[in-house]
Amino acid sequence: MKRTVAGLVILLLVLLLPLAVQNEFYQRIGALVLLAAISASAWNLIGGYAGQVSVGHAVYFGMGAYSALLVYTRLGWPPIAGAPLGVAVSLLLAALIGTPTFRLRGHYFSMATIAAAELIRILVSNWELLGAAVGLMGPAMPRSVADLSFTTPLPYYYLFAGVLAVLLGLTWWMQRSRMGYWLRAINGGDRAARSLGVPVLRYKLYALLLSAGFTALAGTLYAVMIGFADPESVLGILVSVKMLIMAALGGAGTLFGPLLGAAILVPLEEATNAIFGGSGTGITYVIYGAIILLIARFQPEGLLALPARLRAWRGRRRARAADAARPLPSATAAPDAENA
Amino acid sequence: MPEPLLEALGIVQAFGNFRAVDGADLTVHPGEIVGLIGPNGAGKSTFFNALAGDRIPTAGSIRFEGRDVTRATPEEHCRLGIARSFQVPVTFEDMTVAENVLVGAFLRHPHRDAAAAKVRELLEFTGLAPLAEAPARSLGTPGRKRLEICRALATEPRLLLLDEALAGLTPTEIRSAIELVRRIHSRGITLIIVEHIMEVILTLAHRAVVFNQGRVIAAGAPRQVVDDPKVIEAYLGRSLQRKRPR
Repeated sequence: MKRTVAGLVILLLVLLLPLAVQNEFYQRIGALVLLAAISASAWNLIGGYAGQVSVGHAVYFGMGAYSALLVYTRLGWPPIAGAPLGVAVSLLLAALIGTPTFRLRGHYFSMATIAAAELIRILVSNWELLGAAVGLMGPAMPRSVADLSFTTPLPYYYLFAGVLAVLLGLTWWMQRSRMGYWLRAINGGDRAARSLGVPVLRYKLYALLLSAGFTALAGTLYAVMIGFADPESVLGILVSVKMLIMAALGGAGTLFGPLLGAAILVPLEEATNAIFGGSGTGITYVIYGAIILLIARFQPEGLLALPARLRAWRGRRRARAADAARPLPSATAAPDAENA
Repeated sequence: MPEPLLEALGIVQAFGNFRAVDGADLTVHPGEIVGLIGPNGAGKSTFFNALAGDRIPTAGSIRFEGRDVTRATPEEHCRLGIARSFQVPVTFEDMTVAENVLVGAFLRHPHRDAAAAKVRELLEFTGLAPLAEAPARSLGTPGRKRLEICRALATEPRLLLLDEALAGLTPTEIRSAIELVRRIHSRGITLIIVEHIMEVILTLAHRAVVFNQGRVIAAGAPRQVVDDPKVIEAYLGRSLQRKRPR
């Protein structure tokens, strides 16, 4: 119940915020936050709930982006019409990449996904059809409203908010269903999950397909808004790492964690770009590195888990204080009897 | 004699040149409680893991309710009605006790409400109800072992394999665990238990099967088995008198 209310409050906030902020610069950042939240939330399905930390999601994002610009350059269609193609290619690639790599565990799985993504990036960098290293451009001038090329950020903002709402709605439903629990069980341990009848490989694949589909859609939306894609900007490893960090920062495996992570990191990135200009692109990597270190060391569950952790900490402290107030220190800790 | 529930024949589990299990047979009939005992390293747990589908045996065959399950995966074993606990409990640490059990209940009840009803019933049955909302990681060893049993029961097995489910418990905890196993048995579930603690085997098992060096060296009523000279020798070694040169 409390969660439903929190969800509604966030929804209202997302819908009304750009109307309160009339500045186009901030509205654009808002749109970028939502876009990043779509891909981070999509990553969260496999990386967060199922705990399979993919560092190769740029593949699906890139397929979505390239498909949009490909149908424009080759067929003259509006870029958004490339979405089904991007999703279809991503599902195919997800099945191809997922089937062998899901047999690997932990870091080995992550490394295999990096390898697969780099392979695709290098292939695309040398493929003339996709513009090779130069990349592809979208329509310079909007030809019709179908091109979704707007001069103000607001239409993008609401478009992205709509897609994000669908994705989060689906995630919410999944989280409560058998699939959600089974994915979390897989995250908790393959061996135990299998002993309870969870078809582990099949469910990992379901989660990856769902995740890859929405990541591709995010890629298409990116290409529609930015109007440009090259191997580095949509297939580079930083694209994958960003999804991962946003989800982990907010809380991997939670409904709103990726959105929170995006709401923190995107403005941060825009700010460093604004302050340091083009020479500051290296700073982004430094900041991401620092964030990874801090999350891994101090708060692996992400920021959303922070209140619960603080409550637990305060509870423990109160219990300790109560213990100390007792007249005699009683040895209640019974040693584990090993009298077998 | 009724049709056996489980029939394992000539099971061999080799790791390189070492045969951890070397041609072991086991037949279990419906309604039995069978205890697997033997000294450390006798191959009990390896044999047990072959029964649960965790590792495909190098040779031999396993039939469950007349169906060949030798090469079936652990999840297929569970689906067919063989559930298990682990020697070192592997609970889902980030979930509550009730959610852990829910994962198991979803196997037969895809719908949340039906699964949740099953969970409530089993938490009552195993005495975990007061801890339902506690995170699994807050449990100690006895709680974890109990949770694993509860979670396995949620998959509605006909055969339950318990791997040292009572090891590391205090005498009081052991008594309550024995009581739980009895109540599980009275639900019509057949059990195979691996146990170090002789008292448990003597009070619970209808039949004891003794492993030594990968082979079954004795089987029968627990009282008789523990008096078998071969069994005593496996546990304690040969008597000093006979070792002395004549």
